Amino acid sequence: MSAPESAAADGEIQDETADEKFVGKGLNRVEDHRILTGSAEYIHDVTPEACLSMGLLRTTHPHADIVDVDTSAVEDHPDCDLVLTGDDIAAEYNPMPCGLNEMSEWALARDTVRFVGEPVALVVASDRYVVEDLIDLVDVEYDTKEPITDPVDARRDETLVHEDLGTNVPDSERITFGDVDGAFEDADNVLENQYSWGRISGVPLETAGVVAEYDDETDTFDIDCNIQLHTLVDDTIYEPLGYDADDVALNVPPDVGGSYGTKIAIHRYCTLAAMASQQLGGRPVKYVEDRIENLQGGDMHSSDREYMMRLAYDDDGTIRGLDVNFVDDFGAYPRYPVNQVLKPLSVISNAYDIEPVRYNYEIVLTNKTAQTAYRGFGVDPHLYALESIVDEAAYDISMDPYEFRQQNLIQPEQLPYKLPSKNIYDSGDFPAALSRIKELVEEEEKIDGGLLDPEVVEQRRDEGKYRGVSYTVHIEPGVSGADWTDRQRSEKDDLAEREMDDVEELPEHLRCRIQSDGTVLASLATDSSGQGHQTLVKQLLADQLGILPSDIDVDYLDSVEAPTEYGSAASRMAVMLSGAAEGLGETLVDNLEELAARHWDVDRDAVTYRDGGVSLDDGSERLTRAELVGIDDETDGDRLTYAEYDYQHPVLDVEGFGEAFTQKYPVYPTAAFAANAPIVEVDVETGVIEILKFYSLRDCGTQLNPTIVEGQAHGGLAQGIGAALLEEFAYDDAGQPKAVTLFDYLLPSTKNIPEMHLEHTETPSPFTATGAKGTGEGGMIDGPASIATAINRALEPFDVIADRIPVTPDRVRRKLRDE
Amino acid sequence: MSTDNTETTPERPTQEVSLTVNGEEVTSEIEPRLKLSDFLRNYADLNGVRVGCEHGVCGACTVNVDGELVKSCMMYAVQTEGSEILTVEGLSDDGSLHPIQEAFHEEHALQCGFCTSGFVMSTHDLLEDNPDPSQEEMEAQLSSNICRCTGYQNIYDAVGRAADKLDGDRAADEMDDDRAADEMDGDD
Repeated sequence: MSAPESAAADGEIQDETADEKFVGKGLNRVEDHRILTGSAEYIHDVTPEACLSMGLLRTTHPHADIVDVDTSAVEDHPDCDLVLTGDDIAAEYNPMPCGLNEMSEWALARDTVRFVGEPVALVVASDRYVVEDLIDLVDVEYDTKEPITDPVDARRDETLVHEDLGTNVPDSERITFGDVDGAFEDADNVLENQYSWGRISGVPLETAGVVAEYDDETDTFDIDCNIQLHTLVDDTIYEPLGYDADDVALNVPPDVGGSYGTKIAIHRYCTLAAMASQQLGGRPVKYVEDRIENLQGGDMHSSDREYMMRLAYDDDGTIRGLDVNFVDDFGAYPRYPVNQVLKPLSVISNAYDIEPVRYNYEIVLTNKTAQTAYRGFGVDPHLYALESIVDEAAYDISMDPYEFRQQNLIQPEQLPYKLPSKNIYDSGDFPAALSRIKELVEEEEKIDGGLLDPEVVEQRRDEGKYRGVSYTVHIEPGVSGADWTDRQRSEKDDLAEREMDDVEELPEHLRCRIQSDGTVLASLATDSSGQGHQTLVKQLLADQLGILPSDIDVDYLDSVEAPTEYGSAASRMAVMLSGAAEGLGETLVDNLEELAARHWDVDRDAVTYRDGGVSLDDGSERLTRAELVGIDDETDGDRLTYAEYDYQHPVLDVEGFGEAFTQKYPVYPTAAFAANAPIVEVDVETGVIEILKFYSLRDCGTQLNPTIVEGQAHGGLAQGIGAALLEEFAYDDAGQPKAVTLFDYLLPSTKNIPEMHLEHTETPSPFTATGAKGTGEGGMIDGPASIATAINRALEPFDVIADRIPVTPDRVRRKLRDE
Repeated sequence: MSTDNTETTPERPTQEVSLTVNGEEVTSEIEPRLKLSDFLRNYADLNGVRVGCEHGVCGACTVNVDGELVKSCMMYAVQTEGSEILTVEGLSDDGSLHPIQEAFHEEHALQCGFCTSGFVMSTHDLLEDNPDPSQEEMEAQLSSNICRCTGYQNIYDAVGRAADKLDGDRAADEMDDDRAADEMDGDD
């Protein structure tokens, strides 16, 4: 066995041997050193020479016609480099595409402003302080209009957000799987209830930012920005600019300060900075959103839903049918993630065996800032609404909610399980997970001195503090597919005719080359925002190539270098990188054996790649990776110390998914799952809710890096707790946003996050290369639903249900007063 | 609002400020309205000072000014005339990690990393005063910082591990001191 041939300095442990396997280990992250020393370069830190600063004038009106924009005072000011209005950009550029074909949006408002914070003009000057001074000199005359902020009222179309559109409901669909009406007629009981999910989003600590530079010699743009999915959503930038994809390179820094889906929709900033740079003859122009802009009008709010759920069930506790209806308040423009309303179809009945089902959504426009994607992509509110009505149904037939749930779960022998909505759950034992979490809590807490010691619970009740715990199990759908995501832009009548050949998926691209010192440089086509992808690629490729992670470096491709692919969303990277690394490793090994065989002038069968180099099978000769690069350098033709691989979607060939693929229903082939048991305490005098401890049993198949998996679980649950109890972008009736600082939009701090007790099991996916399932969104998907049901338990004596998320103290008090 | 390369025009008043940042003297002619966070990032090239909210909530810009923890977005640079400032870049030199930074790495106490400088500085401040903080003391100190990725548990673990490391370092120092004392005794 050969020693490692070289070692890159990543601060990693250097003494492993290469026959060790790295996948499955909690390898410490390679990203950390640069971050901890303050040397990581986020977009905020990118400032090329002669860079100018851009700022935006944002309207304070929720709905108004623009009568006049007077920029003369700014133009006359010696510090002003550029000022542009909506009409200025319309003269040369295009509007930004929306998520629906019939709509588009100008990066600067033209005739009408439609939400508080909508940009009306841009100003460029030497630095941001000066820019802010100049913005104050722009004078806009408005003719104010009635705003519409309630999505349910907006459906009546009395006040239109877009008059030319003629409706506030630009998209809706009612999809029925099976005889729903029959089931509801036959069942012993039908329950119908409303649940509300507040306007909640990711709010990463780093705001959006861009540095754009136009090159007038090549007539191309270089845009550094912290956009998410930079190869997928680049059309939202090159189309408004009026250029081809190849002329607009989006380059995302290796370090992005969090995104959680939200930064897929920062194209307004990217296009405006690029336009400004072009207008200035190629001077680099930088824009970094400040926090108030981000919260108020940063195009980054997310799902905001009013549900009407119907459940049919028999007296013996069998669920007979489910009918899901909701409106989702998309704000003023339906942006790219319109399909956020469709993803719940992939988990329509959660872990329950329910059929038939109906799913009915409406996208509603109001005078609010637009929605973007957020961790969970619309599944989080769905599971909350579903688990809430399941609770109420159990109460209705006087059954213990745990027993009611257990009775309706999908049984292990039913896996793989095809949902009526056509997605398939791959593997898992949900009843076992649910009984295990209950057993765990009973062992740990329903004991003398435990949090749920009956005596303690009773004593706390005497003091007005009501404790509760619930046991729920949740599916986290992973991986997604690309083809279904344009369902809302497709002719739905034609879908039934489609065949698998019509399905267009996007593979995961990974490439690598061996460098002259023998280290392997791998290049990711996907941007990252804190998930540790560089570490994962090192682990995966190290195992494929039989070398050390420290012999592998990982960098990133820009949007021109990389093919279009889906990117880091939908809990997909563990799965897609597993497959891509496997294919890439095999391709590189094949190439290296070919190169060595040619060099030695022997048959391919006479050489073998092993332990990082190629040997002649008779043992007489060996070429190291560095030597192979040297040979490759002197050889004409294709480079054989380079390889690339496009990993196709993992279930494209799995027959059972054909219906979902061809008919554009959400395809999510991995079903990670979690059984949760948060223990909550509600102070009925103040309405304050404290989570005392959070138990969670989690399974994401094979864990590639348990340290990272655990980190995702902790972080996801923290966001789930924030959503459940604290966070909301509320608006008043006049259309003014009520959460414009972090004093109003409350992010969970050390004061809100309880001790977490996590356990992990591994049920490998039969569909993926390593058995891994997606795990990036879990806690945010399952946290709120499980907390809400625990609150229901705590407030059972008052007959109060947590029917609005977030469950804030004032809402709790109102409910208690009303009962 | 963050800024780079503040070029001043004659109409805008400026003021000279001299201070010590991570042991080095810095003197600059700046506008009085320049925030300390922007000064550190753009005049002292210390990008480890992260700007997350600029209204004193998130704590990403936390630095140490004359021994006190400060959110540098809430202070003007001219207020630090003659001060000594420590940022995350000043915790260790030669690219190695300070024990607190090591502990954050080992406990996976960071993901996107944007809040990390602030947490490291806050931990540094805590452990200076209190080498063995309780869980409640950690929670109290770190409640001035927001992390959106990790959920805090790994951060507590990192603080505990850092405390152990620093305690070990102190014990080693004391042993060295004892040995030196012994040697001096021997000389006697």
